[in-house]
Amino acid sequence: MSRPVFGSSEESARPARLDRDRGLVEAARRNPADFDALYRKYLAQVYSYAFYELRDHHAAEDATERIFMQALTGLPRFEERADAFVSAGDPGAEPPADASTFRVWLFRIARNVVANERRRDRRRPVSPLEHASGLAAADDIFESAAAREAGSAAWRAVARLPEDRRRAVILRFVDEMSTAEIAEVLGRSEGAVRVLLHRALRSVATDLRGRFR
Amino acid sequence: MLDGGARDARRTERFLDGIMEAEERGAAAAPADLDLDPGVLLAAHELRADLVRVHPSFRFEEGLASRLAQTGGRMQRTRDDLEPALGAASIAPFRVRRAAAAEQDSDVPHPQAAPGSGVAPALRRLPLSGRPSRPFVFGGVGVASAAISIGAVYVAWRWSRASQTPMVRAVRAARSGRGGHVSGQGRRAGGLHGIFGVMP
Repeated sequence: MSRPVFGSSEESARPARLDRDRGLVEAARRNPADFDALYRKYLAQVYSYAFYELRDHHAAEDATERIFMQALTGLPRFEERADAFVSAGDPGAEPPADASTFRVWLFRIARNVVANERRRDRRRPVSPLEHASGLAAADDIFESAAAREAGSAAWRAVARLPEDRRRAVILRFVDEMSTAEIAEVLGRSEGAVRVLLHRALRSVATDLRGRFR
Repeated sequence: MLDGGARDARRTERFLDGIMEAEERGAAAAPADLDLDPGVLLAAHELRADLVRVHPSFRFEEGLASRLAQTGGRMQRTRDDLEPALGAASIAPFRVRRAAAAEQDSDVPHPQAAPGSGVAPALRRLPLSGRPSRPFVFGGVGVASAAISIGAVYVAWRWSRASQTPMVRAVRAARSGRGGHVSGQGRRAGGLHGIFGVMP
């Protein structure tokens, strides 16, 4: 739950809501060993994003490791910006109660790491997820479940989307981000993200209709 | 004023927010927007059902947690090492060791003790062997400049000096004859003069 605070400068004279991870972030800054709480909180979200983007659980694990390592070492440079979620057209509005600039910052790192990974994959292609799923360890139920889910018709439709639409869909449906958060992660306007999502859903609908016909 | 596409996009956004809020509340059915494209409604429900959040293996989670803890420990140790060093740091004036020793040995008062007096008079009173050595700085620009100067002096000296060998004199005469004489006969004459040792 965010809490209102008062800043010292004129700009922040009005109460500004700070994000829900503020306590954890401050603790991790004081003592990097306390980063573990943030790691446990966002591990599944970050891993899911990497997994749906890279479609390979080994690549997703590598990317997840890089993302959290970069976040840990870059934490002293992280700046909380609660106003990041306030629409430019409505400067008097409050940011959402569950806003987390840390989460947005973490996913920006994730976006860059995954984009680099995909770029490398294009140069050095590997087997797609459908082939890799058969190689998963028998005792690892998470891997096989993830592979089954990712192999569904809806996911295949999403996998065919252009890069920016696919990212927006994953952040919205898998990581349950708001339009404002997605806009911050992708570096786009909220209007652009709304249009991206709407077009992505129309494309998926067309794809699914053709499949079920 | 929103155009049709932006209006539909806003409507889709409200619908998606409604689906997620209904799930959080544990409501059985999400609010339906009858004006929204039925295909978009279907796709949204399909994606909501299929795109589940996945978790990495327990082994990976714990392994990464320990690697992060190690890195965090290293960061903490580095910070602990740096903080006292930075806290105790102060700017010390650069002093030449022998000058400082001479100051201590001589009865010259310290500059700060007596305003107006300085280290320079005290150093001047010292014998040459006791004076502090001055730092000698090699600079790339200085070395290059010196090399160019030496080279220019050598070329000027070499150019002004008459050569002893007839062949060199002939070549020089031919070269100087090229600019001064227009006709080929002049050039040939210059060459011959050079060969026979006649300076123009």
